[in-house]
Amino acid sequence: MKLLRAYREKPVRAVPAAAVVLILILLGLLPGMTPPYTTIMVGSVLMYIILSLCWNMFSGATGYISLATAAFFGLGVYASAFLGGTLPLPALMLVGGAAASVLAFLIGLITLRLRGVYFTIFTLGIVKLLEQLILYLEIHFNNTRGRFVVSHSYTEVFYALYVLLILLLAAILIIRRSRFGKALICIAEGEDAAQHIGINATMVKVLAFTISAFAMGAAGAAMATRWSYIDPYIAFNANYSFLPVLMVIFGGSRYLPGPIIGAAIFAYLQELLTTRFPYIYMLAMGLIMIAAILFMPRGILGLIYDGVRKIHKRKEAKADDGS
Amino acid sequence: MKKRNLILLFLAVAMVFSLFGCGGGKGGGDKDTIVFGGSRSITGVYAFFEQSAYGPIYKMWVDDVNAAGGLYVKEYDKNMKIELKVYDDTSDLSTMTRNLEKAIVEDQVDFILPPVSTAFLYAAAPIANKYGKVLIGAEGGSATLKESIAQYPYFFSSLNFSDTQAPALVEILQDHGIQSAYVVFIEDLHGTEYSGALIPALANAGIAVNGVKSVPADIQDMTSIVQDAQASGSDAFLCLTYPDQGYLALNQSIALKYNPKIWFMGSGGGFSSTLDIYGDQAEGIMSWGAWNPKSGQAAAEYFDHFKDFWKDDPNVCYDYWGLIPYYAGLQCLQQAIEGAGTLDNEKIQEYLVNNHFQTVLGDTWFENNMIAPDCFLGNVGQWQNGVFEVIDRTDKATSEPIVPKPEWP
Repeated sequence: MKLLRAYREKPVRAVPAAAVVLILILLGLLPGMTPPYTTIMVGSVLMYIILSLCWNMFSGATGYISLATAAFFGLGVYASAFLGGTLPLPALMLVGGAAASVLAFLIGLITLRLRGVYFTIFTLGIVKLLEQLILYLEIHFNNTRGRFVVSHSYTEVFYALYVLLILLLAAILIIRRSRFGKALICIAEGEDAAQHIGINATMVKVLAFTISAFAMGAAGAAMATRWSYIDPYIAFNANYSFLPVLMVIFGGSRYLPGPIIGAAIFAYLQELLTTRFPYIYMLAMGLIMIAAILFMPRGILGLIYDGVRKIHKRKEAKADDGS
Repeated sequence: MKKRNLILLFLAVAMVFSLFGCGGGKGGGDKDTIVFGGSRSITGVYAFFEQSAYGPIYKMWVDDVNAAGGLYVKEYDKNMKIELKVYDDTSDLSTMTRNLEKAIVEDQVDFILPPVSTAFLYAAAPIANKYGKVLIGAEGGSATLKESIAQYPYFFSSLNFSDTQAPALVEILQDHGIQSAYVVFIEDLHGTEYSGALIPALANAGIAVNGVKSVPADIQDMTSIVQDAQASGSDAFLCLTYPDQGYLALNQSIALKYNPKIWFMGSGGGFSSTLDIYGDQAEGIMSWGAWNPKSGQAAAEYFDHFKDFWKDDPNVCYDYWGLIPYYAGLQCLQQAIEGAGTLDNEKIQEYLVNNHFQTVLGDTWFENNMIAPDCFLGNVGQWQNGVFEVIDRTDKATSEPIVPKPEWP
């Protein structure tokens, strides 16, 4: 009803909202209407979309480059490994998300006074620290390295990630329109200036970091149930820190759909290249990234928008010439 | 703004609709080939195994079967050749699980190949079981999997592990009056399990453990560890690692002239690459395994066949631990398919559990879904005059152990 009312009042602005609703409905129908592997593959794409959106929610907004994604994701993975047999999937995701948020809050309090490369290196160090700490504890106290994880069906995991994505998108939209969201943008534009106008920059950053970590941990908890077996190297794989950054760069960090499009295309390309061209996968991905950084500094969306703008200007110039 | 939104709308809706059009499995139609598929680490940190361990074996086996006209499957009343459909998981577990499910649910392969490494096998076993696909493991696996075997009846293991190898090594140490040992192990499932089996066995045998050190896979310098072992005066240096770390420790032992009575290298010590790299310095090095062409006629013929098949590939090395049980595992599956006369994995699983097979190991059968310990040709080997001799305290030994090992040349 709200959409209809919006369409009557502002038809142009209602189009993207309707598109989002349509896409989400279609995605929700996917498991029942497509072959099982499509659901499995899209589930994996949803995971990357969530990680990319979360990364962009904090790093894209504030300009602080965090590489702690794998740490938050890995904590979620371990939540499932420890509690998989006792809790249902939504509860596992809540526990995984909460654990990641607590860690993010603590890291944020300690480190978000740091700026630039110091913060980035620290966040990457956290990933290695957790990996090695859990490895040490497992080997020396449990005489094992890895753990079996109680598995859930691909449909369950798909819907868990699907609901998480919807909640995350809603949270991002609410934050973007709130004073909190505007404070984040202010910090990115100039942290000192933001503080001068009364924004508690550290607390705003810590909160944004904590909120974004929640969905990362929840996604880790859900995905672990598809892997059946995990160990610290698997859970805290640094790829989960780097890939979302690349996906956001590829899609365009300035736009809300950027991380979504970047993650979807990137994950699909990954799937296509590893299954069809295994020997050139890394080479092709490397070339794609170099090309993206050289020729698409604002991502694929920036490139598309620039193209549209140029066409529009050319048309306007022609129209002016004609008149 | 309006155009921008419309472009986005078009892109996104097109993407989602394209998913609905994604193709399903093959299914139906006349069947002429048996498809083996799965996920292997063709690239990434485990690529070495695809190139030098199970990779050459399954490719040779497929060629052997196809050259013989394929497998006769009674259900189809014809000989069927084998077709491979293998994806690269880039040594990444999440990609491996996705690829494996792609092979099973989308490609609808008849049989699956095992992924590389213990952790990946652990992750693959529940998937194989869920879809009712027989999975005969290759590189990796572990004795602790025995505890889980009851949950995963479709998982079979072809390699011998710490539960039989650690006692065999301790017997050799006891027989030669070894009083003390220094243990180094890699911080992964393999190292954890082998050290977990070996250290208590040493203690039970009255052999003092003077030092235990764990090392990460990416360790670059083991000088301090080797010096510590040397200072401990231990009779045996037991390095339960992979080739990278084992060779590093070996280099530093040679450099420091640390020559204990027993120098034992874990996984990779029995690879022909050890002999290729170290030549005379490999003399006396012990490792897990074991077999060699002297282990029997079938082993000798298999060795010659392997050598002839891969003669033009300089990357393929001879693994005197897994090279023969891997092939035996595939022969068991081959005979189970022909014996059961079907591609139905449930019937083949039953056939594997309940029958004996004639393989390159000789009479071969599964106990608790693992090739029975009695089937293996040996558990511990030692390089002696360029041959990886089997030195177990059994009638399968091809030579007596040389203890103390010779000085470094």
